[in-house]
Amino acid sequence: MARPPLPEIGPHLSSAGVFLVLRRMRVPLVVLIVIFAVSVLGLSLMPGQDAEGHPARMGLFDSFYFMSYTATTIGFGELPNDFTAAQRMWVTLAIFLSVIGWAYAIGSLLSLMRDRGFRQALARRGFTRTVRRMREPFLLLVGYGNASKMLARSLDDMGRRFVVIDNKETRVSGVEIDSYRADAPALLGDARDTGLMTLAGLGHRTCAGVVALAGDDETNLDVAMTTSLLRPELPVIARSNSRDVAERMRAFHVWEVVNPLDRFGDHLRILLRSPAAYQLMIWLTSAPGTELPERFTRLPHGRWVVCGHDQYGEELSSDLRAEGLEVTVVHVSGGTVLAGEGDSAHVVESGHIDDAVAFVAATESDTTNLWLVEAAKRANPDAFVVALQNRRSNAPLFTAVGVDFGMVPAEVIAHEVLARLANPDLMRFLPAVPHQGDKWAAELVDRLVETCGNSAPDLWRVTLDDEGAPALTDRLDGESLYLADLLRDPGDRDHSLHIVVLALFRDGERTMAPHSETNLRAGDTLLLAGRLRDRAALTTTMTETPTASYVLDGRRVPTGWVWRRFTKVDSAGAAH
Amino acid sequence: MNLEKVVFGFFVVLAATLNFGFFIGDLGDPELHNVYELFAAVVVNLIATVLKFGDRTQLGAVHLSTSLVASLQLIAAAVVWTYFAHAVEGPITAEQTATVVSLSAGALFANVVSVVLLVVETVSFQRR
Repeated sequence: MARPPLPEIGPHLSSAGVFLVLRRMRVPLVVLIVIFAVSVLGLSLMPGQDAEGHPARMGLFDSFYFMSYTATTIGFGELPNDFTAAQRMWVTLAIFLSVIGWAYAIGSLLSLMRDRGFRQALARRGFTRTVRRMREPFLLLVGYGNASKMLARSLDDMGRRFVVIDNKETRVSGVEIDSYRADAPALLGDARDTGLMTLAGLGHRTCAGVVALAGDDETNLDVAMTTSLLRPELPVIARSNSRDVAERMRAFHVWEVVNPLDRFGDHLRILLRSPAAYQLMIWLTSAPGTELPERFTRLPHGRWVVCGHDQYGEELSSDLRAEGLEVTVVHVSGGTVLAGEGDSAHVVESGHIDDAVAFVAATESDTTNLWLVEAAKRANPDAFVVALQNRRSNAPLFTAVGVDFGMVPAEVIAHEVLARLANPDLMRFLPAVPHQGDKWAAELVDRLVETCGNSAPDLWRVTLDDEGAPALTDRLDGESLYLADLLRDPGDRDHSLHIVVLALFRDGERTMAPHSETNLRAGDTLLLAGRLRDRAALTTTMTETPTASYVLDGRRVPTGWVWRRFTKVDSAGAAH
Repeated sequence: MNLEKVVFGFFVVLAATLNFGFFIGDLGDPELHNVYELFAAVVVNLIATVLKFGDRTQLGAVHLSTSLVASLQLIAAAVVWTYFAHAVEGPITAEQTATVVSLSAGALFANVVSVVLLVVETVSFQRR
């Protein structure tokens, strides 16, 4: 199928600034030319006289010379002859005229520089040029809110490039203030405009994907549709706050839909089932280098009280009921903080908070959540309190009021999107983690901490085929290569590399944390966690035949490893 | 009637006529080529050029380029005249005059193209 054509952006959009200057400067320039011409002509016609008193006009050239240095206020004062009274009168007039002309022209130019439309045109021009010159893969971020900001920061830390498009001026200028290491072009405009999306690099050769995290679902849906229609091969990750919109997005084969409120329920379920699995999930999806988050104690099982807006409260409680909990739902009328039926006495009474084990405040307003938590704490100080923290900056307030488990939607979105972008295989691994049991997850966390230390490891995948592991091709028959052997240190094969194998994917099946006796076969894909140094060592084993033969068979060249480097013939001999 | 079009047409045609007025006459005879007419031609050509700024159409772009050519040639003619009349000893000779006038002849050609474009634009506008 031929690729659908993208809207033409052409030169008219990118060079609009120059044309605007030219058009606006037309009148001032004509005025300036006329004033200058009249002054020169007049001066050359004024009767003058030379040193001996003979009549002598100045001539066009001398007048032009004189007016040039006078009008530009350089004022040489060099004259062929002294001026007569008539010439002086004309020069006086010409000086005033030219001052007015210049003031008008410069004033117009300055006001044009401050003109909003003009600056926007200039900014757009610069943006288009930067995007067009991108040589590395980049992501298109639609919307620059809290979640996008966190995502952008992590992407920047990972050395990935991105382009931002948002419809609020303050946010677009925020991109510059946030000062990323790599240049991050930002465009002010509505992402629903396909022309602007094209300008932002939708049709660019190296565009690696689109992430739609705008505040309103309509924009996200529109971006998702546009991308999947025009560039069906591009991955799209879109945020949606409602199930209907999410369904519509999926109909367009959107790669991944992230619904923060839906995720709140999912996270609670995982946490209820296995605190260690939750800890592992959060740790692996955060940016490399993040400290191991604290593990929650087991959540209390018993009667929970959920307080939320109509539909959302129901959804959350059905999630919790699926985990075998007894749930009481209290409805808080949407938006109004001080609604009569929503006051604290009503909430406490209708929810019977005094004998519940846990309380969930999950409205879309932080103020409401805060006073709900406060009321619940007063009624039942021992209850486990969960709250939705809509704004990240409010986190200290929630800590102060005594929330045991808080979830920030922006953080969740950033984590999820980052995990999907950085490592698609991670998303084949993570959903299976809660089903492995709490003990399994706890052991895996311990193993990760033991081998890779306390900060989040790098995650990567290797595929054992001719391309990814050329040095291993003759051994990948499923019998002769053990996983443990592959992970030996090329420096000293008696030691293992600090790498943990999270999962093995073979023929569409997944083995979680395969044991070291596993036989590897051609076409296997491994999801690995470790440090960059060990990653490089493993790559050497997989691609360099001499290293592979040392690591796997222990065949040493007698003169030692250093010497072998100098004698290339020997190393080739050792290989075959 | 559109005042902008009147002003525009006026300057384009005036630039061509002044240019022609300076050019007409024996090529080497300084008596037949008034320098004030050259001055007027330069000024009017510059104004015509500025008036064509910022037009994004294809026709507008060609308009602007012909005007730029004409202005450039006339300015060259003026500079050459200034040099011969002021920097070189003695009155201006026939060869020197011929140089100045032939430069302005080049500008005249560009101005004629401008006028033709103007006419084409007008005619195609009325047909619609």
